[in-house]
Amino acid sequence: MGDLELKNITIGYGNTPVIRDFSLTVENGQMASLLGPSGAGKTTVLRAVAGLLQPRSGAIIIDGRPANGLPPEKRNAVMVFQKTLLFPFMNVEQNIGFGLQMQGRSTGEIRRRVEKILELTELTGLNRRKIHELSGGQQQRVSLARALVLKPAILLLDEPLSSLDATLRQHMRELIQDIQAQTRITTLFVTHDQAEALMMSQRVCLLLNGRIRQVGSPRELFYRPADPDVARFFGGCNFFEGRLKNGVYYSQYATVAAPGLSANGDRLTATIRPEDIRICADGNRGITGRVQKTSFEGTTTRIWVQCQDRVFVVLAPVTDLQAGQSVRLHLPPDKIRIFAAEN
Amino acid sequence: MAAAGVGIAVLLPFVSLVMWSLSSRWFYPQLWPRQWGLRAWQYVFSTAGPQILAALGQSVLVAATTAAISVAIGIPAGRALGLYDFRGKDLVSVVLILPVIVPPLCVTMGLHLWFIIMGLAGSFFGVVLVHLTFCLPYAVFVMWGIFSNYNPSYEEQARSLGASAWKVLVRVILPLTFPGIMVAGLFSFLLSWSQYLSTLIIGGGKVTTLPILLFALMGSGDRPVAAAVSIVFVAPALLALLFSARYLGGKGIAGIR
Ligand SMILES: Nc1ncnc2c1ncn2[C@@H]1O[C@H](COP(=O)(O)OP(=O)(O)O)[C@@H](O)[C@H]1O
Ligand SMILES: [Mg+2]
Repeated sequence: MGDLELKNITIGYGNTPVIRDFSLTVENGQMASLLGPSGAGKTTVLRAVAGLLQPRSGAIIIDGRPANGLPPEKRNAVMVFQKTLLFPFMNVEQNIGFGLQMQGRSTGEIRRRVEKILELTELTGLNRRKIHELSGGQQQRVSLARALVLKPAILLLDEPLSSLDATLRQHMRELIQDIQAQTRITTLFVTHDQAEALMMSQRVCLLLNGRIRQVGSPRELFYRPADPDVARFFGGCNFFEGRLKNGVYYSQYATVAAPGLSANGDRLTATIRPEDIRICADGNRGITGRVQKTSFEGTTTRIWVQCQDRVFVVLAPVTDLQAGQSVRLHLPPDKIRIFAAEN
Repeated sequence: MAAAGVGIAVLLPFVSLVMWSLSSRWFYPQLWPRQWGLRAWQYVFSTAGPQILAALGQSVLVAATTAAISVAIGIPAGRALGLYDFRGKDLVSVVLILPVIVPPLCVTMGLHLWFIIMGLAGSFFGVVLVHLTFCLPYAVFVMWGIFSNYNPSYEEQARSLGASAWKVLVRVILPLTFPGIMVAGLFSFLLSWSQYLSTLIIGGGKVTTLPILLFALMGSGDRPVAAAVSIVFVAPALLALLFSARYLGGKGIAGIR
């Protein structure tokens, strides 16, 4: 156990930098999510921490010690790859014991620790199974067990659940959370799935185009995105413009008291989440609009509403609205997020 | 049916070889030997026994050394060719295929002069070296193919789990490519085993492998003896082939990706 500190890391393949000025701290015993779309550079960061890639500049500090010059096998950080790279010529037990064997542990100790980890990962009894005789979920758990058994200071998980189906994925998320809570291994959990990142950890780090855009609690990222790109990544789709005058934000769609913002007369972008907009067929509150189309999504219905020169997307439990119908939208001021400055 | 047909076609020459070695009188148009006898085998095991045994040992030594070197070079070379793109990759494949398509006699004659200058002519190592010019391309090509279907992330995963570079080679790369290594080694061994001309020229009669002895014995015109010696020559190669047959199919390589 120990903490992980990355300071101003820049990493590149060839001449193009992929990660720029990346800084992140994961505290001892915690699990943090590194979230970003495919190609953002998440795997690249993990490979650098694991020692499989040298950063151009910046410091990697594992458990208080600088790790930049250390080869991967000397680092107290273990990476679990996205693809379960289980050795096909070894059975489950041998795969899990591989790392311990590399450390030169005795056969007895290896057997004992493997047995314990098999239980923890719900694999009891599968010791002698061949790898190709395992299901996808079991393979994923063996691959996780193979790293856990080493009790590393830092565990690096690269999208460990992306190849599993929805039900299995949910079960595995809970399993990983339970194991992490029990073992208290400092974990950096990589995912491209925003919901997964929010549910897995108390701290989420959003990576877009090789740069950290926001770090914070799941609620902060979800409700108080730092910029429109972050909001967009979390499913935000309603953006509009307004002006700030004496601590009040005025737009065509809503008027919001914004005491925290001081800039006067600036054009600022604001957003509201689709599920926060109130929609009703009649009444006199809010702005008028016309339903463009609707799309039934189960628990909610997605409704596109044309209001003046803008289309608002609304997620609401109502299903009886028709295209062409005239409706009223109310944008509650406390749900509107105003971005500090135009990017 | 087809397999049986192929089997018969492959085995047919051996049947007549065995018949020849067991005959003592067998003249043209007769379909069957007139008289059977063990004279040829007595000759092989007693009169020429020590000579054949020495040649057998020499052949095994030359072929095993050649195969070992081929594989030892073939693995890193095939890995580089299979995993990385670099300038001059096409040139490498042309250079590799050259000794395979140019008649062995030309290659050997061309090398002979240089071997004399370097003092390698007539030496064991010289013979191994000339065999390598024929065997190494096969080993490299086989390993190139293996490493084209190979996921190098296994190595990174092993490193991250605490394996040093050396342990990764022994515990991960070799087992993952084992079927390919067996095929490459076997090809090299058999190719070296059957070399005659190159051994004769470079060895200059000083390195007496089994084919060299075989041709000498055949020259005397004794067909039954020649047949018996031929069987002695083919048997170890056949054994090696049977021993490694399970690696020749695609099955052994299937688990890698
Ligand atoms: N070995 C490599 N050589 C060159 N470019 C690479 C290599 N690996 C990844 N990249 C590039 O780096 C960027 C980030 O990749 P990666 O870290 O794998 O993203 P993620 O894991 O977030 O999907 C991508 O644009 C990708 O094309
Ligand atoms: Mg990735």
